[in-house]
Amino acid sequence: MLGKLDWSAIPFDQPIPLIAGAVVLVGILAVLAWVVVKGHLPYLWHEWITSVDHKRIGVMYILLASVMLLRGGSDAIMMRIQQAVAYQSQGYLPPEHYNQIFSAHGTIMIFFVAMPFVIGLMNLIVPLQLGVRDVAFPTLNSVGFWLTATGALLVNLSLVIGEFARTGWLAFPPLSELSYSPGVGVDYYAWSLQISGVGTLVAGINLVTTVLKLRTKGMNYLRMPMFCWTTLASNLLIVAAFPILTATLAMLLLDRYLGFHFFTNEAGGNVMMFMNLIWAWGHPEVYILVLPAFGIFSEVVSTFSGKALFGYRSMVLATMAICVISFMVWLHHFFTMGAGPDVNAIFGIASMIIAIPTGVKIYNWLFTMYGGRIRFATPMLWSIGFMVTFIIGGLTGVLVAVPPADFMLHNSMFLVAHFHNVIIGGVLFGAFAGFEYWFPKAFGFRLDERWGKLAFWFTFFGFYVTFIPLYVAGMLGMTRRMQHYDVAAWRPWMLVAAVGMAVLTIGVICQIMQIVVSIRNREALRDRTGDPWDGRSLEWATSSPPPVFNFAFNPDVRGEDAYWDMKAHAKQQSHEHDAPEYHDIEMPRNSPTGFVCAFFATIMGFALIWHIWWMVVLGGIGAFATFVVFAWRDHDEYVIPAEEVAAIDRVNLAERRDLVSMAGTV
Amino acid sequence: MSDQTHMLAGHDLAPGDEEQHSVGARILGYVVGLALALLLTATSFFIAGTDLVWQPSIPVALIVLAIAQMGVHLVFFLHITTGPDNTNNVLALAFGLLVVFLVVGGTVWIMSHLNANMPPMDQIMPMRR
Repeated sequence: MLGKLDWSAIPFDQPIPLIAGAVVLVGILAVLAWVVVKGHLPYLWHEWITSVDHKRIGVMYILLASVMLLRGGSDAIMMRIQQAVAYQSQGYLPPEHYNQIFSAHGTIMIFFVAMPFVIGLMNLIVPLQLGVRDVAFPTLNSVGFWLTATGALLVNLSLVIGEFARTGWLAFPPLSELSYSPGVGVDYYAWSLQISGVGTLVAGINLVTTVLKLRTKGMNYLRMPMFCWTTLASNLLIVAAFPILTATLAMLLLDRYLGFHFFTNEAGGNVMMFMNLIWAWGHPEVYILVLPAFGIFSEVVSTFSGKALFGYRSMVLATMAICVISFMVWLHHFFTMGAGPDVNAIFGIASMIIAIPTGVKIYNWLFTMYGGRIRFATPMLWSIGFMVTFIIGGLTGVLVAVPPADFMLHNSMFLVAHFHNVIIGGVLFGAFAGFEYWFPKAFGFRLDERWGKLAFWFTFFGFYVTFIPLYVAGMLGMTRRMQHYDVAAWRPWMLVAAVGMAVLTIGVICQIMQIVVSIRNREALRDRTGDPWDGRSLEWATSSPPPVFNFAFNPDVRGEDAYWDMKAHAKQQSHEHDAPEYHDIEMPRNSPTGFVCAFFATIMGFALIWHIWWMVVLGGIGAFATFVVFAWRDHDEYVIPAEEVAAIDRVNLAERRDLVSMAGTV
Repeated sequence: MSDQTHMLAGHDLAPGDEEQHSVGARILGYVVGLALALLLTATSFFIAGTDLVWQPSIPVALIVLAIAQMGVHLVFFLHITTGPDNTNNVLALAFGLLVVFLVVGGTVWIMSHLNANMPPMDQIMPMRR
């Protein structure tokens, strides 16, 4: 009846996950109870859960990423403490638990923190920057978000029901095959990634179509803000690379469920094929994450230097070059598997070549700052911190791209330090820069600068104190994923790294404090103009938060830095618009399709993990029925009458007129 | 190209959304496509079993017919054209082909080297002797 599921699935003998699970459960129930008692449930349902508004979905993506960042961060703290204490002892985490923690940490940080954070920012901002009213497929957008949330839910469910994979974040066979991992851990891993992978793929298709098909009048390709370009490149990579992940995991699942032999040791299976395929997805994935971050830095650096982006066309070219070359380097993740010198040499050279367009970008940002009037607001601090940190990470990356050096450093702590150096220094700093930069746009009030700067400095130095010692430990021969060790020379570095982790934790607390303080002071921090940073692109041309239709009129773009031009033009003519004539606006109706679909997907995923076949059928039929109901809907749009549009827009225009008349210099 | 990239509806269309042809012309297009596809399929089956041609040329002929089949599908059913309204679709197709070429070609190349250098233990042992 319940497949493999029984009471033994709940780890009563392990206090840590049980207590953590209980605390989270109580927290969720408390929030739910508060929502119901206060009567916010209808609001939550109508305005957020069923929303197909790209801004709301973007905010929910970022919320999911932030919550999962805390989960993945807790894993990181536990690992750092374990390695600090587990010198010539077992530490406090038994091996089977420690192995689950490093696997969950990697899986969560990549798939449920970095991915939703960048997709959330793209969702929130790209339609605004393009001057359009929504993404190409609004309901599909909602489906994509809720399927990602399903994946995150399943991963967290594994904390208390069953176990998570003990295989590392990419579940290499033969360890992940049934003979070596008979439990449900790998199944939790694979099904949550399959389901959230569908979500990521539809988000990718949606954003590619949005950038290619929905641009406002005059917004041709070479007038698009840099963030739109990097969004295009990143989502092209999603569309091209995620099917490889899905196919690879599907083959692993066939091995585990139906006795196939794709990646087994025996019966003609080839383990090496898994490494090859997973990294053919895995390397483009790195650029899927970091390209949007590059776009964010381009926007931030240009805005806070008060200058147009230096070398816009070379930046576009570099972005698209990275997009293509990222598919030519994947072997550098397994130089040591034995492909031989000629294959290794080609991929080593390709890996070094990809550093060139990245270097072009760094110089472009530096030259954008050169001669500019730089304002050191929090987003700008994250951007400068990124440039310093990412260059170090990039240089160690070029070092491990040299095959002989890689043979020394493969799977050592040096590698761990390197990829944290680029992912934290690149993607996470970028996500935080974007968060600080666009928060006023999303919510209509600015974030507290004092707490924001504290958060930056603690995170920045905490990062170095944590990860520079790992470089050293790697040089001293320490391998990754060690539950305990007996080498005295490594111990001091692990202790320093634990101190660094404490500093990073203070940074996280400051970040939370920043949000709390800002929400409490929101009236004082209110942004009435919609343009708190003196911005350059179209998202600042509408109010904060933007109305549901984004723009009363589709803006007419006449050059790069569209909004900057409009402002300069308006100042010269000392007025903005004559009274315009408003029209009705059609917007897509909200739809519970995404939420209902993900509800059934959760049931199906859980049933697949535990081999509850009747429930798999139930979930599958439910998800398909949801799709059928949506496909046969009668009314998919509603009309916002012209008077309402006019009323909303007049407020915005009045505020803006004050801004223009108050502003002194350009 | 820049003029084509303006968002003005009607300039840049998705496959299947192309400008209004009469129903008769569209049906004719599909019928021609179907006939060509059937012809190519039938030829493939015929070539595979025949002894009328030089035997080693059969695989090459099948590959050529398969590529022609893909071309027929792209032109008649997916409506890829060389017109200016189709730039996005053609570029997307090119990018897709490039990625498939890189991944499949690279995989074959990598795996052949890996299999040569890293055979299973029971195949290494005889080699050592």
